[in-house]
Amino acid sequence: MSETITHDIIIVGAGLAGSWAAMVAAREGVKNIGVLSKVHPLRSHSGAAQGGIAAALSNVRPVAGTGPRGALEQIPPGDEPVDSPDLHMFDTIKGSDWLGDQDKIDVLVNDAIDIIYEYEHMGCVFSRTADGRINQRRFGGHSAPRANFAADWTGHVLLHTIHEQCLKHDVKFYSEWYVLELLVEDGVAYGVVAMDILTGELHTLIGKAVMFATGGYGRAWKITSNATANTGDGVAIAYNAGVPLMDMEFVQFHPTGIYKHGILMSEACRGEGGYLTNASGDRFMENYAPDKMELAPRDLVSRSEQTEIDEGRGVGDDAKGIYLDMTHLGREKIMTRLPQVREIAMNFLGVDIIDSPAKIQPTAHYSMGGIPTDVNGQVIRDAEGNPFTGFFAAGECACVSVHGANRLGTNSLLEASVFGRRAGYEMAKFVQNGARIPTIPKIDLTKKQHERIERVMSNPNVNGKVERVSNLAEELKWNMTDNCGIFRDDEKLTIGLDKVQELQERFTHTEVMDKSKRFNTDVLMALETENLLTFSEVIVTGALARTESRGAHSRTDYGKRDDEDWLKHTMATRNSDGKPDLTYKDVNIDFDRYPPQERKY
Amino acid sequence: MSKNKTVTVRVRRYNPDVDKKPHYQDYPVELTGDKTVLDALEEIKAEQDGSLTFRRSCRHAICGSCAMMVNRQNTLVCTTPLESVVNNGGLFSKADTVTIDPLPYLPVIKDLVVDRSVFWEQYEKVKPWLMPPDTIPEKEFRMTQEEVNAMEQAETCIMCGACYSSCPVVAGNKQYLGPHALLKAFLRIVDPRDTAPDERLDMIGTETGAFRCHKVSNCIDACPKGLNPAQAISNLAKASMRAGRLSAERAERMKSLIDMLDESAEPEKV
Repeated sequence: MSETITHDIIIVGAGLAGSWAAMVAAREGVKNIGVLSKVHPLRSHSGAAQGGIAAALSNVRPVAGTGPRGALEQIPPGDEPVDSPDLHMFDTIKGSDWLGDQDKIDVLVNDAIDIIYEYEHMGCVFSRTADGRINQRRFGGHSAPRANFAADWTGHVLLHTIHEQCLKHDVKFYSEWYVLELLVEDGVAYGVVAMDILTGELHTLIGKAVMFATGGYGRAWKITSNATANTGDGVAIAYNAGVPLMDMEFVQFHPTGIYKHGILMSEACRGEGGYLTNASGDRFMENYAPDKMELAPRDLVSRSEQTEIDEGRGVGDDAKGIYLDMTHLGREKIMTRLPQVREIAMNFLGVDIIDSPAKIQPTAHYSMGGIPTDVNGQVIRDAEGNPFTGFFAAGECACVSVHGANRLGTNSLLEASVFGRRAGYEMAKFVQNGARIPTIPKIDLTKKQHERIERVMSNPNVNGKVERVSNLAEELKWNMTDNCGIFRDDEKLTIGLDKVQELQERFTHTEVMDKSKRFNTDVLMALETENLLTFSEVIVTGALARTESRGAHSRTDYGKRDDEDWLKHTMATRNSDGKPDLTYKDVNIDFDRYPPQERKY
Repeated sequence: MSKNKTVTVRVRRYNPDVDKKPHYQDYPVELTGDKTVLDALEEIKAEQDGSLTFRRSCRHAICGSCAMMVNRQNTLVCTTPLESVVNNGGLFSKADTVTIDPLPYLPVIKDLVVDRSVFWEQYEKVKPWLMPPDTIPEKEFRMTQEEVNAMEQAETCIMCGACYSSCPVVAGNKQYLGPHALLKAFLRIVDPRDTAPDERLDMIGTETGAFRCHKVSNCIDACPKGLNPAQAISNLAKASMRAGRLSAERAERMKSLIDMLDESAEPEKV
């Protein structure tokens, strides 16, 4: 049994949300902060975000008379702004299909402008307008150009900037440590059990505040833009510790993943003017969103693409692709605004987007659901909003909820930053106001996880049945893609749920081939797969129960949004049989200002 | 029945806990047009040998996890098509084979996973964060797109370590800051918001900094992002001398050469 490590604040995950929280808490005077990450902090998936981060800076506006897709120009000093937090708020609410909590969205949009300037003051290198201000581009579902960008590597520059600040403030990182369990006593979170991947040893880390910033759960799908690290570990671990999960059935499919690979081609491709065309060469979006066209929100564009594909108008050898055409944008724009995207298309499709369209398809991208929190990252334990003391969460693993049923592009970097920063202040206050670690049971806290790993490592060989974890993970991913994808119905979801449960059972007699302790990625993948199986059941159960279509959750057997019965958040709690129990939580709506209305683009 | 050719992926294996020394192991992999080297490694791990160990995450050359040496050349395996590196045979190589080694000059943790500790230590040594002025504007600092373009030559570095572990100076001298850390220092020195370029030039104008570079320029070949650390280092060395900061003994000897330098190759801000 290894020695217990103690910190004031323990943060799991070192992407934007975790790093912001760590940096802010350190700046507020908390000395003893430990940040655990399963990958080196600079490998975090925040860095893969491409197109921009939303904030109504009003630095640019459309050139008069050029229409909704025309050129942009900087706004001369003294001229009226074209954008405002209010407009950003309405767009986000409409994008969320009214499932986003309006009091939370209000906080998001009002912190937005300030956090962009803070990034800039910390050294972030943004692209510029002619007069030297931060440049902005259009993005889907936003009614003004408010995506502040650094070419098409925005997430990369934000992540590197905030990591540098953490180093400046002497934050302690545990790089390549994998968290296995959230420790809870009398309803108070007080630490984690984690594996040092290098040695394979398990450690107990105790803290007054524990924060999860562990990212999304897109790896449960076969075609996904997500990094291999995005296995929703934090979400599964929290659920196993008795924390409810909110709105897990809402998963965003991004319209432009690389054909057959799923790797992201930024929405900035369309923000800069790219077209989507089908096998007949038609810009089919005019049939689905005649006003916004390719810049409709992602859920709508992905559904439109899938409809084209399902009706036989797809491209590629299996006719499951769509063309993303940027050939009319010209070399210069592509080289300065979309250099990374061009490189990706060259690497994976062998085409130069300057000369040829790229084949794309919808790809699992963003997890709207997750661990429910308030606006300060405080995790809540029930529909009444009572706090789960000592436990905080922010970023994609959290569900505040500001994105509701569908997130707008560029709002995720913003959310991770805004609520990561707020969680940092909140945890600093919590620790400095005398938070104490509860009395810890005098037992080996790593025992449960030791046994779990032994179980995965040993070859159980029940009735001669042994299978590789990788086969099982592959089956799960296809199951989620086929049965819990863009279009869902009762039949598919029922098959999908049965399959997840079958795979959960089969997981108990899988085999790990690597029996060593040192840097055992085979064991890691088994543990990750167990997490995928845990939360996939919650996703499918929630999707099956929700008999309506709202945002990214689209049921062909219940095609309409049903505000009467379903204007509410799903809360899933693990019951004593290990199955999810569903309850529901009201959505915060200001019925005077932003009453639910039909969502058309 | 597959029409595709089967090729050999030869991987250098080593687990210091059990192996006396590293050895190569061959795995057959079917060659298809869209398969990357990373796809091949994933396939081997899933279907043939779960103990094969390597790092990866984003799959599209932005996270920097999967830098390895493929056929003696450092690269990111996630964006390297398998087809492009399968050897056709020749004097020193077996036909239809690709050889994968861990990044050189760094301790091996296991198989293709190396210990980058010293790499990160050097990165931290250059204080990579911005040192802003005491008074900051209410909104953004104004800067031109040209200034941004200059910084992008360094800002787009993903810290994968391909340059560092191709550098013959690093091979013999772990005190050397290395191309990645010097590129980061360059970023801050050309950043118009930074207030400490002199302090930074002092930091890198030393015999373990910019003056230690031997201009072999392996870093340029190795960089999967097409960056040019060698030129940044050269500019730093010049800037350091022009600013009269000659803490390194080697700088004295180079001083006589400075008149030969092309004025147009000056860094942005000296």
